[in-house]
This record gives sequence, structure tokens and C-alpha cells, in this order.
Amino acid sequence: MSNRLLDFAIRYGFLILLVGLIVYFSLAAPGFFGPLSAAFVLQSVAITGILALGVTCTLVVGGFDLSIGAVATSALMLAAYSMVILEHPTVVAVGLCLGMGALVGLINGLLIVKFRVPDLLATLGMMFLLIGLQRIPTQGNSIATGMTLPGGTVAEGTFSAAFLWLGRHRFDVMIERLLPMPVVIFVAIAVLIWLFLGFTRHGRLMYAIGSNARAAGLVGTPVNRYKIAAYMISGVTASIGGILLAARLGRGDIASGNNLLLDSVAAALIGFAVLGAARPNAFGTAMGALFVGILLQGMTMMNAPYYTQDFVKGAVLVAALVFTFYLSSRRTGTGH
Amino acid sequence: MLRRHFMALAGVAGFALGAGTAAAQDAPAPLDNPGDVTIALVRYLSTGDFFQAYLSGVETQAAALGVNLRVLDSRQDAALQADMVDQAIALGVDGIIIQHGLTESMRDAAQRAVDAGIKVVAFDVNVENEAIPQIEQSDYLLGKMALDQAISDNGDSFAAGYVYVPGIAPLDRRHVAWEEIKEANSGISEEARIGTLDNPIANANANQARAALQANPNISVFFAPYNEFAKGVKIAADELGISGDMSIYSADISTADIALMREAGSAWKATVATNPAVVGEVSVRALALMLAGEDPGASVIVPPTLITQSFLNENDIRNMEDLGEKMPQFQHADVAMADWIRLPER
Amino acid sequence: MAGDALKVSGLKKSFGKNHVLREIDLTLSEGSVTVLMGANGAGKSTLVKVICGHHRADGGSVTLAGEAFTPVDAADAIDKGVVTVHQSIDDGVIPDLDVANNLMLDRLVEPGHGLFVRERHLRAEAAKVAAAMGIHVDLRARVSDMSVADRQMIAIARAMARAPRVLILDEPTSSLSAAEADRLFALIDRLRGQGVAVLYISHRMSDIRRIADRIVVMRDGAISGVFEGATLDYEAAVTAMLGHRMTDVDVTVQSGTEPILEVSNLSLFNRSQPIDLTVRDGEVVALVGLLGSGKSRLAEILFGLSQPRCGDIRLKGQLYAPRSVRDAIARGVFMSPKDRGSNAVVPSFDIANNMTIPFLGSFSTGSMLKTGRQRACAREMVDGLGIVCQSTGDDIGTLSGGNQQKVMIARWLLEPATVLLLDEPFQGVDIGARRDIGHQIRASAAGRATLVFLAEIDEALEIADRIVVMSEGAIVGEHINGQVDLTALVADFTGTAPATGVSP
Repeated sequence: MSNRLLDFAIRYGFLILLVGLIVYFSLAAPGFFGPLSAAFVLQSVAITGILALGVTCTLVVGGFDLSIGAVATSALMLAAYSMVILEHPTVVAVGLCLGMGALVGLINGLLIVKFRVPDLLATLGMMFLLIGLQRIPTQGNSIATGMTLPGGTVAEGTFSAAFLWLGRHRFDVMIERLLPMPVVIFVAIAVLIWLFLGFTRHGRLMYAIGSNARAAGLVGTPVNRYKIAAYMISGVTASIGGILLAARLGRGDIASGNNLLLDSVAAALIGFAVLGAARPNAFGTAMGALFVGILLQGMTMMNAPYYTQDFVKGAVLVAALVFTFYLSSRRTGTGH
Repeated sequence: MLRRHFMALAGVAGFALGAGTAAAQDAPAPLDNPGDVTIALVRYLSTGDFFQAYLSGVETQAAALGVNLRVLDSRQDAALQADMVDQAIALGVDGIIIQHGLTESMRDAAQRAVDAGIKVVAFDVNVENEAIPQIEQSDYLLGKMALDQAISDNGDSFAAGYVYVPGIAPLDRRHVAWEEIKEANSGISEEARIGTLDNPIANANANQARAALQANPNISVFFAPYNEFAKGVKIAADELGISGDMSIYSADISTADIALMREAGSAWKATVATNPAVVGEVSVRALALMLAGEDPGASVIVPPTLITQSFLNENDIRNMEDLGEKMPQFQHADVAMADWIRLPER
Repeated sequence: MAGDALKVSGLKKSFGKNHVLREIDLTLSEGSVTVLMGANGAGKSTLVKVICGHHRADGGSVTLAGEAFTPVDAADAIDKGVVTVHQSIDDGVIPDLDVANNLMLDRLVEPGHGLFVRERHLRAEAAKVAAAMGIHVDLRARVSDMSVADRQMIAIARAMARAPRVLILDEPTSSLSAAEADRLFALIDRLRGQGVAVLYISHRMSDIRRIADRIVVMRDGAISGVFEGATLDYEAAVTAMLGHRMTDVDVTVQSGTEPILEVSNLSLFNRSQPIDLTVRDGEVVALVGLLGSGKSRLAEILFGLSQPRCGDIRLKGQLYAPRSVRDAIARGVFMSPKDRGSNAVVPSFDIANNMTIPFLGSFSTGSMLKTGRQRACAREMVDGLGIVCQSTGDDIGTLSGGNQQKVMIARWLLEPATVLLLDEPFQGVDIGARRDIGHQIRASAAGRATLVFLAEIDEALEIADRIVVMSEGAIVGEHINGQVDLTALVADFTGTAPATGVSP
């Protein structure tokens, strides 16, 4: 009996908590419950959520990608550089960013697979490299239309309307101009990654690699190729996040995106606990991102200062990890 | 630190006072019933003495008026700041103060707030919206007055170092004054230019300044038009042991800065400042005027004050409170005023 | 002979319904080496684990020098003077520390050692311990840079630094070369001289000949023979180990039809004799040999994991030289590897996914998996092999070792194989599951060549049509099941036969 209760708690505890949180904030914070507020929550988690989905793919193969935040800000700066300084059209700018993300993922993957650098260290190195690299072309300045370039000329290009549309357009759902474009993209990527990881043989093999890479290799899985692919997915999703950030800001702002890495990693790790999966999964990651978003929106509305929000975010993460690693291992009776 | 506690206490005290008495009979609607009025402060920058003092000014003036204040702090995350305006809209606030930020990311968000019927003022960020008054400290004047003092102290011919990070609006405006002074005085030469906003700002700039001063030992004047910059240059000068041979002119001030300027042999000769707490108060008052249906004007400028090392020493000024007492024009700015607006208790 | 150091009497231990130890009586004498032999699953490891405090006994008693000995855990056992060096030596050393620190590790963790490491003092002490053990290595060398034998020595020396009365060595030579083993034996001789009672677990005949004062044989959880005296009867010991099961097997020997796998002139190691081997359709061939005999190497080459020095392999007449596991699988050569825990089981997957993982391509349309078909196929295998589980959705970790192994074997029975390689399929498998697996492999043998790689003769007799004995990278004997001269087979296997013409 108590086993079934524990099982139920592990499976649905997190989602129940999520619903409870929504109910609590709806009662305690006027204006929290409603389509407008929901759209804001989604908007605030869309970009971190997209990054978190990428990290999820690397977690699935037993890796980790610390460079996603830096990839996103690099894509942000690259988009700005491409459009404002080089005056490229939207398609080129977007293509460049996606290509950059894929390339960084490929390099990460090769460092880990071919050069046997531990994943944390390889991606940490890549993170520093990118943080520096993205500032070299503009000598550390933010990129905005009208800025003076190092050569003395003035940047004439602007962010095209089509590009800004990616970050700023709001679809009419229930209320006019309610649902922002990044949210739509977030949901689309979440569904894609959910299908890919959960329902294709590629996803299944990636989970096998993460669980026992040797065994996966001995049944003929091309382990290295899948690992590299995971880092490339992570790089591309991070660059999509960066593109959306650039489109929202309309400027290549060097200070933006500082918190992307930690927030998205937190979302992916909280996702372990959703539905008692005890492993990285796309649905959990999306729910984790949403959970953090709702918590922060609610606390902001309750007038909690930012440091208490960080504290609560950390507490949720720790609780989710305990859920995952302690309770789930007790349930299966196969403690580590 | 002590000062922050003091301010917090003052805020609480003011709030208690306000709750009891600030429902002034003659305040126009909706401020005749201020307990039902909520305003939000949406911040881009928050770490550093200046921003803390600004916040305390907003808090005390809001408390004096008796309105509810929500503080939303994006911590230098431009996208989050825009989200926070949306959050404020969802909260159904009556007024919003946008404190710093990027034009590109805040323009649309500000417009959405205006569309939602919310009164908005912006401090130190141009959101390109006619319905939104700009609160400004005159950055140009800050730079100009500091440089005028530098010339009166050092003559119109000296080798100078300069701290500048382009693309930051207030620094860009202070930069205009520097360019003008160089134009007008051919004897002033810019030997070195440094500047970074990497955290911690003072420390990062100290490293750069040390290198610049070592490379250019002839520099006698350093123009560091932001107090964190000045701190950095002073650290470098102290470490190199050349404080006696050079002078630092800066902008902005805090209690910590006062102590640094008053250190024996300090190179930090003068600063020009607008009291950030006063700017905070003015921001709230301008918003209050708008809520009451009055027009504070498209631009509300808070005038700056010159503060020299010798003035601080002569009057034995130890902190911002002392400075306010000894220099009344620093304690209060007579802008965005109305009879019905209750000022913070002094 | 000196007094009894450790005396075990009437020891009982069961796991559930499984009686692993039934009334074991065993005495270890001071200054004497007792060798404990037994087939897999005989209960040797459990006995050791009870003695060293890892498990609690269900009944019976253990006395140490006449006093009751009931350690609460391994550390307590060590404190009381019973030290065990386990099979996986890396449990006994810390690879990233140098030799001196490894030798002194137990001192460092003693309470009251003080906060700071007195480097000079530590090295002097370590040098003393090393000298006492006859170990001559650089004390500053990192353990991870040392040979397996050196590590083994250090693990033992570390244990000896505690001056134990009883030393238990669990298959210590399983990963040592002959020369390295000699050094270990010299060390054991020295300890014997110091009056330590040694329990030495092994079934390597050469080891046993070299050091045993006494042989105790276990079978099915009981002592099935004790041999001592001036001349030890090794053959009798082996027979006692294998027991009546040798004659118990009912294998209808198949000689196979067409040749499927033809290995010719294949050289496994640098200086080893090339081997020739033909396996026919429907035939089950067991390759038996001790560790290092080359059978694992042969399996690796056939599965594309390593490349041969020279020689060639043909599959149904076609040349076969796999560069990778994928190549091998593409040609229909499947392998179930040994050590399923690290090489085969995907712990986070359920039964169905674990079983179908090699052939997910045929369980999907495009890339999308057809979960229903996966489950249905897994279900068939579960029924066919008698895998005990609630459903195919059970986590693999909930199964017993035998059932896990059945799943691992079933994996490669899902699609028809040309050659099926099974490396140690009975490792960590109880007797019932072993019979089921053997039966299934023989029943499905038609249409492919089956090679089973084994370290135990009795297992080979249970499953194979033909038993090929390997040693030092070469084939040294071949026996058709059903007409086996057991003495000759044991002699081939243990290398006791005089170096007569052993090529098949």
C-alpha cells in the first residue's frame, strides 16, 4: 500500500505540485490567472526552454553541454553582426546562426568523441572560447544601428522586419496579439524533440548509449556518431534560442543571455522528476521550464525580490533531484 | 551597508506614516485613495551604490505618497526586462517606472503598457514614445561641470586619461562634453582610453588603468565619468603610488565614494553628481503627476551638483546624509512638484 | 602443524529459497595454504563474503583463534585480523595515488592520525612494509602506471600492513601472466613462513600445484572433497569439483551439415600458433580455456572488435573480415558478450527494449518505432525462454541474474544468425536458467554455426557437440561430446598433460 502511494507520489507528485502552485498563485496574486498571464509565463520560458531541450539531448547520451548559453549569445551577436553591419537579408542571418550552432556542436562532439576530452571540460572550454569570440569583431561593444565601427564608418544596416517578426510577432488566440512567436517555436521544438527521443529508434539508441555506452556499441550502435549528433542538436537549438533573443531585443546586446545556461540546465534537471521518469526527457524538460516560469511569475507578482527567487529555484531543483535519484531508486529497489 | 539599513528603516517608517496620514484630502483622484494605487519599478541595472540609492529614493517617495510599490528587477537581462513590463501589465498596476534598459527591447513593451492604459515614465532610457516622459539627470552637464573643474584646477593644458564604454546612453552623453572640451582646448591631449563594464566594474577598470598609467606616466588628469570607473582609476593610482601626481574627475557619488575622495592624498579631486535618491523621488513624483492627470513635461531634468574634495574636507562630510545637510541643493531637486505631493520626511 | 587460525563449522546461508551454503565445515591452519576449488555457483564467493563480514550467516559459527568471530562489516573483519583481497584488484588500490600512499592508506584513515601527512615519515614506513613483502618498486610511482601484478602485490601488501592472521585471496592470478604469478607465489610462500593462514580461491591447476598444502572442493553449496597429504590428487579434486554432472548431460550430439564458419591459419597473438577451425551448420562448438588462452581474442576478431595478425575467415565460403561490430552484424555474425553488467545490459531500459535493441531498424517504419511489435516479439521470447517477469515492460534491473542473461541471449535470437557467438553465457547464472539457456541454444541451433566461449569444462559438456580446448592462443585439444575422455580433457584444459602432440 505504502509502495503504491510512493509510486503515485513519484509519478504525479511533480505535476500535482505544478497544479497546486497555479491554484495558489491564482488565489494569492490577482492577475495571475488568465490567458495574458499564461502567455507571459510561456514567453518568459520559451528561450530557456528551447536551450533546455537541446541540453536534454546531450544528457540523454550521458553527456552535458555547458556551452549552450554561450552559443545562444554568439548567435545573438552573429545575427546582429550579419544584419546590422554586413547588411545581410534575414534568411542569410538565420542560416549563419544555425550553421554556427551546428558547427559548434560538431566541434564539441569531436572534442569529446575523438580527443576524449571529458564532456564538461570540453564544453566549458568552448563556452569561454565563444564568450570571447563573440566580442572580438565589435571590440566588445554591443551592436546597434548607427554605431560607429572600429574603422570609423557607421553601421547602416537594420534588423529586417521579417527577422524581428520571429521574436516579436504575437498571434491572435482568444485575445488579440496574445501568443508570441517564440512560444510557438518552443512548443514546436518541444514536440519534435519529444517525438525524436521517445518514439524513434534513434532516440531509443541514444538512451541506450546514455545508460550503457559499451553495451550499445556491442549491439552495433554507432555510438560516436550519435554522441556528435546530440551535441549538434544542442548547438542548433541553442542558436535558435539566440536568434529569438536577438529578434526580441532588436540589438546585439553583449550583456543579454547571462542566465540562459543555468536556467536551462535547471529546467532539464527538474525534468528528470516529471512523471517519475528519472532520466532526461523532452516532456519533463518542457514541464520543468514551465514550472520555473510559473514559480518566478507568481513570486514576482507576490513581490518577492530576485534573490529569494533564486533561492526558491535552487530549492526546487534540489527537491527534484532528490525525487529522481533517491525516491526512484528506492522504488525499483536498485539503489546505486 | 549601514546606509541601506537606514534607508530601509526610513522607507518602513515613511510607509507607516503614509498609511496613517498620507491620504491627503486635497490630493486628486486616484491619489486621494493611495492604498488602491500600485506602481511598478522595472529595473535593468541594480547592482552598485547608485542604483541602490535610486531605489531608496523611489521607495521613500512612494511611501510618502502612500502608494504600493512593486519592484521588478531584471538584473541586466534585456529580454527579461521586457517580460517584466508585461508582468506588470498583467498585475494591473496603475503606473510603471522603467529604469534603464535598451531602446530596442523596451520600445514595444512600453507601447504595450501605454496601450493598456498604464501611465509610464522612463529614467535614463529612451523608449521613443511621446506619451512617456523622460526622467534624466543631465549627463552632459555632469561631464561638463567635472571637466570645467579639471581645467580650473590644472589649467587648459594637460595629458589626460579617459574611461569610456561606448553604446551606454549616459556615458555617450558625458562623452559629448569630453569631445567638446578637447576641441576647445588644444593643450589637452588624450593619451590613453580605457573602459569596461565587466563585473566587478571597479576592479576590471583598475586593471586596465594600471596598464595605461604604466604605459603613459605623463598622465596628470584622468576623466572617469562614472563613479565605479573613478574607483578603478583610484585603485590603480594608489597601487602605483602616483596618487600625488595626478587628479581624477568623475561623475556620480555614494557614501563609499566620499570616503575614497577624503582619503589622505586621494587623487580623486572632484565629482559631479545628481543625488540618485533625488532622481528616484523625482521619478515617482513625475509618475504621480501623470496619474493625477497633470503633465510633467516631455523631459524632466534633475540638475547636477559639483562636489569637490576640499568641500568635503572643509565640512567634514562623512556620508550622503551629511552631504545632503551641508549641500541642500543635493538633498532635494525642485522639479516635478505639486502642492498635494507629500515629500519624504527628512 | 600449527594451531587452527580460522574454524568454520556448520555454516548456512540462503538467499530466498536458494540454499547457497549448506553446513560448511572448514578449518584454516596457521602457516598453511588452503586452496578452495569449485565451479561457478558452487558457493565459494558467498563463503568468502560471509567470512569477511559482507554477509551474515543464517546458521553455524566461525571462530578465530578459538574465539567467536562475527564481524559486522568488512572493516571490522580487517580489524580482527581477517583480510580479503578481492578479485577486482582496483577495489584494493587507489590508482591516482603513488605506491607509498597506497601502502599507508589504512594508517591515514585511522582516527588520531593527525591532520597533516608527514611525508618523510610516511615514505619510510611504506619502504619498511614494501621490504617486508619483498616488493621492489619505485614508491613514488603512481599505481595507475603499474602492471596488474604490481597492483595486486600492492593490494596484498596493503592488506598485510595490518598484520592479519588470515588472508583470503579470491582468484588473484586471474589477470596475471605466468611470471607475474610467480612473484605472487613467492609472496605467499613468505607469508606462509610468517604463520599466516591463507585461503586461496582458484581453479587454475598450475596455481594449485605450486602453492597448495591442502585442497578443499565445494559443489552445490557443500564441501565435496578434501585432499591433503604429501602428494595431492589433482585429478580427483577436479572430478570432485565437476561431480556427477559430468555424466548427467543428455546431449544428442550433432555433427552439423555444411561448413559455415571456416577459420584458417588465423594468428591471435604476436607469437602464438595459428589456428584452424571449422564450424558447421547446426553445430554447437564450445571453446574452453583459462583466462588468457585466447578464446576472448578469437571472439573479438570474429565480431569485428579487433583485427587478426594474419590468416583468413570465411562465412559460407565468402571471405569475411569485419572492421566493426556493424560489419559483423550486417553479415549475420552476432555476439552475446561476457560480463553482461558492463557489456550488455542497458540498465535504464525495460525487458522489451533491452531485447530488441540490436534490431530496432526492423521494429520501425521510417524512424518511428512500432512499440506493439517490439512488445509482441519480446513476449514470444519471454515465453520461449521461460523468463520470469510480470510483463515485458519490467525494468531489466528487477530480474534475477539468470533471467537478465536470458534476455541478453534472446536479443540475438530475434533474427536468424549465420554465426552466433556466446561469450561466457552462464556467468552469474543459476543452474535452472543455465539449463533453459542451454536448451534454447541447442534447440535453435539449426541454420547457423554456434560458438560458445567458456572457462568451465562442465558447462561445455552441458551444451556443446564438440569441445575445442585453447591455451596460449592455440588450439590444444578437441573432443566430441558423448565420447569424451574426461582425464584427457581435464589434462588439455589445465595444461597438466605432458607436451605431447596436442594439435587436433
